[in-house]
Amino acid sequence: MNELEQEEWLDRQLREAGPYIDDDGFTARVLASLPVTRREPQWLRAMIVLGLALIGTAMAYFLSGGGSLVRQGVIQMADFPIWLLLVFAFGCGLVVGAFAVIFAIRKTPEIRDLTRLDF
Amino acid sequence: MELTDADLVARVLADDDQHAFGELVRRHQSSVRGLLRQLTRTDVALADDLAQEAFLRAYKNIRSFRGEARFSTWLYRIAYNCFREDARRRKELVGVDEDQWQAEQDPQTVDPGLRHDLMHALSLLPLHERTAVVLCCQNGLSHDEASRVLEIPLGTVKTNVLRGREKLKRTLAAWGPN
Repeated sequence: MNELEQEEWLDRQLREAGPYIDDDGFTARVLASLPVTRREPQWLRAMIVLGLALIGTAMAYFLSGGGSLVRQGVIQMADFPIWLLLVFAFGCGLVVGAFAVIFAIRKTPEIRDLTRLDF
Repeated sequence: MELTDADLVARVLADDDQHAFGELVRRHQSSVRGLLRQLTRTDVALADDLAQEAFLRAYKNIRSFRGEARFSTWLYRIAYNCFREDARRRKELVGVDEDQWQAEQDPQTVDPGLRHDLMHALSLLPLHERTAVVLCCQNGLSHDEASRVLEIPLGTVKTNVLRGREKLKRTLAAWGPN
């Protein structure tokens, strides 16, 4: 008996010793544990969000007297000292950046598992 | 015509089709549960719990399956990660449920005495060698696929398979072909 024959024999025994395991309700248990399927298609959800955003924008425009509130706000901000505007811009950037990082981690399972963060 | 794994994954991705995912579970449950039973030293209940967790994770993260490897390889990787995390939590592996293991073997194909010795010899291998032998010799993965599943270098997989095989051959010398 040579080396190759011995290895082939061992591999064959290993394959045959690992028989098919009957399902025995396993698949049903897995399916029962899956999260509930969201039936709405992606495009419908996108349209709902877009529609709500447009309605909200239109309401804000008309309720603020054709955008006068925004104009006043910009004029007031122009009077602020430059350092305060820079701090404000930097803060906004930080908040947006933090949300982007959280979103990216949630969408990337490898990084999520690596960082062991749960949010 | 039978749908391929890739077709079924595409259906799950497109329509959240749980029936398609169920078919994937049916196709791969035996090999995933078999692998986990080997890793947990044939603790059937624990292995099935881990297998269920693995399939649940696969469903939740199916968008991260890019089709670069076989679906089964991707599943094995998830199952192996489930096992590693559980082992880390428990700090120790549980014992052998020999009776239940024996009851599930098919007595027609392999000599029961040989099977018993083979499984016993396999369970005595260190975890890294046992895992490599089960993936490559029993489940038919290539060394490259096993290195992706275990996230270790290709050379380490080859070494672990070689060492594991050598130990099994020594232990089973009396059973070898004449």
